[in-house]
Amino acid sequence: MPARIDRQGGYLEQTASTSEILAVEGLSKSFGAVQALQDISFSLGRQEIRALCGENGAGKSTFVKILMGLSQPDAGVITVGGARVRIVGSRHAQNLGLGLVAQELSLAPHLSIFDNIWLGSPQVPFLHRRSALRAKAREALRALGVEDWGLDALVRSLSVGQRQIVEIARLIAREARILILDEPTATLSDSEIERMMRALRSLRDNGHSILYVSHRLGEVFELCDSVTVLRNGRHVVTRPRQGLEKTELIENILGRTLSEMYPPRAKKAAAPDVLRVQNLSVANAVKNLSFSARAGEILCIAGQLGSGADLVTRALAGLAPAATGKVSFYGKRTPLRSVSKSIAKKIDFISDDRAGEGLFQTMRVLDNLIASNLQAHSRGGLLRWGKLREYARRNAERVGLNAARLDSPIGALSGGNQQKILFGRVLRNDAPGLLLLNEPTRGIDVGARSELYRVMRMLCENGCVLVMYSSDLEEVLGLADVVLTMFKGRLVHRYEGDEIEGSRILADITHPDARAR
Amino acid sequence: MIEASETRARAPAARGLSALRLIRRSGSALVIARWVGAAALAALALSTPGFLSAPSLLSLATTVSFVGCVAMGMTLITISGNILSLSLGATVGASAMIFIVATNAGGPVFGLVAALATGAAVTAIQGAIIGSVRANPIIVSIAAFALITGVAEAFAQRGAVFLAVRSAASAMHFQIAFIPSEFVVLLLVTALCELILKGTVFGRRIYMMGSSFRAAEAVGVSSWRVLAGVYGCAGLCAAASGALLAIRYGTADMTYGAGYDYDAVAAVLVGGTLMRGGQGSALRTLFGAIFIAVVEIILLLRGFRDEWQYLFSGLIVSFAVLLQPRQGDAR
Repeated sequence: MPARIDRQGGYLEQTASTSEILAVEGLSKSFGAVQALQDISFSLGRQEIRALCGENGAGKSTFVKILMGLSQPDAGVITVGGARVRIVGSRHAQNLGLGLVAQELSLAPHLSIFDNIWLGSPQVPFLHRRSALRAKAREALRALGVEDWGLDALVRSLSVGQRQIVEIARLIAREARILILDEPTATLSDSEIERMMRALRSLRDNGHSILYVSHRLGEVFELCDSVTVLRNGRHVVTRPRQGLEKTELIENILGRTLSEMYPPRAKKAAAPDVLRVQNLSVANAVKNLSFSARAGEILCIAGQLGSGADLVTRALAGLAPAATGKVSFYGKRTPLRSVSKSIAKKIDFISDDRAGEGLFQTMRVLDNLIASNLQAHSRGGLLRWGKLREYARRNAERVGLNAARLDSPIGALSGGNQQKILFGRVLRNDAPGLLLLNEPTRGIDVGARSELYRVMRMLCENGCVLVMYSSDLEEVLGLADVVLTMFKGRLVHRYEGDEIEGSRILADITHPDARAR
Repeated sequence: MIEASETRARAPAARGLSALRLIRRSGSALVIARWVGAAALAALALSTPGFLSAPSLLSLATTVSFVGCVAMGMTLITISGNILSLSLGATVGASAMIFIVATNAGGPVFGLVAALATGAAVTAIQGAIIGSVRANPIIVSIAAFALITGVAEAFAQRGAVFLAVRSAASAMHFQIAFIPSEFVVLLLVTALCELILKGTVFGRRIYMMGSSFRAAEAVGVSSWRVLAGVYGCAGLCAAASGALLAIRYGTADMTYGAGYDYDAVAAVLVGGTLMRGGQGSALRTLFGAIFIAVVEIILLLRGFRDEWQYLFSGLIVSFAVLLQPRQGDAR
C-alpha cells in the first residue's frame, strides 16, 4: 500500500507559504530493484514556469506520472495549493488542477475547437451548446493569447502547433492551475515554437504555473523562470534561470563535464564530390534542387516544417514516391523510388519517426539491428544466426550500446538507446555509403546526443557521406561541414566553413526574400 | 512469453480489473497462467473415462490435424500483421474437390500437385493485392471466400465429387506406429512454418511487416512480395488440409473446411500469438490447436452436446482475447 510516510519519520508541516502552488517532499519510487525516484523535494511557485531537465531515465516521466496519479509513490508527500494530497488517479489529478499535455495529441480532428475543448468533460450536459461553456472556452483561448481564433473552426484545419494550443486550452477550461508539458515542441517548427512560447507566457501572466519538461536547452533558457534538474532519480538542483550558465546546466544534467558536445569537424581534404543531385523534385514540395556532397562530410539541410527539407532525404532514400531527378553516387545512377535498390547501393536512411518508421517494437534489439542486413548474412535464404549475432554485437558496441541487451525487447530501452539501434543498423563493414538522416536527435538527452554525434563523425572518417535534415539550428551550427538552406521547396543558399552563421541561416529559412532585397 | 522483461509497466492498477491487468502486464504471470491451464486440462483429460483409449486418441490426432494445418497458415497471416483470413476454409473445401477431380483424371500425385498449386495461387493473389494497394485484409478475404465458393459450387452443381478409384488415394493414407498420417503431415507443416519464421530471411520479413509496416518498407522490404509469399504459404497449408480430408473420406464438397477459419483463429489466439502481428510462432499455434481439440474431446466424452462445445470454445477464445497484451504495453 502506498503510504504517506515521511522518510525522516515525522509528519511535515503543512506549507504555509501561499506563493507555492505545488510542493513535493521526500518523494521516492522504485520499480523492483530500480530506484526511479529517490527523495525528491522541491516546490513550484504561482505564476512560475519551471523547466524540468534530466537525461532519459533521470526520473522525469516517473515524476510526471506520480503527479498525474498514474503511479503511486513509495514514500513522500505532495502538497497542492497548501493542502496535502494523495493523488489516486488521473481524474483526481484533474480535479486538483493538474493538467498534462502529453507528446501525443488526443484531439478529434473532425470536430470544432469548441467541441474538442469540452470533449469528454463530465461538466457537459447531453446537449452542450450552452453559452456558459462557450464563454469558458473563449476565456481559455484568451488566457493563451489566441482569443482571435474561431471556436467553431475544425481542428483538422489547424497546424500541429495550433492543435497543441487547443490541447492546452482544453485543460485551462477545466480549471487546470498547474500545467505539465512533456516535450511540447518536439514536433513543431520554429515559428510555431515561437507561438507556443507566447501562449505559455500569456498563461503564466494569467496566473497559471507551468512545469516544462524539455531536452531543448535553448527553449529552457528562453522561456523558463527557473530550472530543476533530476539525475538518476535524485534531485540535483533547483535554481532561477538568472545567472545560470548553459554549460553549468549541462554539467548538472550529465553529472560530468561535457568537454565537447560536438566532435571536431572533418579535416579539410580535397575530397571529390561523390554524391551529385540534379534537379530533384518532389510533387509540390521540393522544386529543382541541385547539390553535391563530398565523402567524409556532414551536409545539413536546414529548413522549417513545410520547407521540403525533410523530403529531400526521403527522396534520396527512395521513400518519396513522386520524386524525380538525377542522382548519382560514386558516378552511378541511383534509382529514386526503390528503397531496396537504394540500400543495395549502400544508401541508408534514419527516420525522424523513430517509433513508427524506425523500430520494430515487438522484436528484440538484435532483430532490429540486423533488419536491413539480412541478405548479406544468409545463404540460400537461410539465416546464419551465428554471423548475424556477431555482426549485431559488434555494431552495438560501436554505437555505445551494451551488447548484453541484444535479447531485450525494444520497450526496455530509453529513447537515446533506441536511436543508437537505428545508427547501429546502418553501420557497414564494407565500402563507405551514404547515410540520410531526419532529425536524428529529436527527443534525445544531451548525453546520448553527444554519443550520436561521435558516431556520425566516425562514419565520416570511414568515408561516408551524411546528409541530414534538422530543425534544431544549434545542432546544425555545431555539426555541419556544409549547410544548405531551404525555403518553400527551393534551395536558398549553400554555406561552408566560416560562412556558417546562425543569423544567416535563420534569415534564409524564415524570410529569404527580405534579405535579398 | 516475449513480454517477460516488461517490468516497467507493472504499475499498480488503481481499481477495476486489476487482477486481469496484472496478468496481462506481467509476462511471468502469463506463463504461469498458461502452465496452470495446461495442467488443469491434463488433469481433467486423465480423469475423464475413456480419454486414454486408442479410439479417442486417434480421433484427437486426426481431427486436430485438419484444422491444425489451416491454423499454421493463419499463424503466418497473423504474424504478418493481417489479423486473419476468412477464405482459408473455402480454400480447404475447394482444394479437396480439386484433389478428387484431378486424381480421377491423372492419378493421386497429379491430384496433390493440382490441389496445392491452386490453393497456393488463389491465396497468394490475395496477399499480393493486400500488399500492393494496402487493401483491408479481412475484406479481401471475404471477397475471396465468396468468389471461391461461387466458382466451386457452380462447378459441382451444389453437389459433392467422389473418388472414382478409392484405392489410388488411400495408398497415401498410412500410419506410423499408430500415429495417423494426418498428424504426421501436421507435424511436418508445423516444423516447416517454424523453420520459415525463425530461420529464413523471408521469416524475419514476415515479423518485420507485422511489427511495423512503415518501418519494414523503410528498410527495403517489398510488402507485396512478402505478403504474396505469406498468403501463398497459407494457401498451401489450407490445400494440404483439403487434400488430407479428401484422402480420408474419398469425397468432397464445399462444406469441407466450413468453420475452419474460426477454429484456426481460435488455435492461434489460444497459442498466444499477438493478434496485431509481429510476434508469435507456429509451435505455439500447435499447442493452441491441441488444447482446443482436447477440450472438445473431453466435452464429447462427458456427454455434452454440440451447443456446449460452441459455448466452451467461445469461452476459451474470449479468455485468450482478454489475455492479449494491450496496444502500447509492449513498448
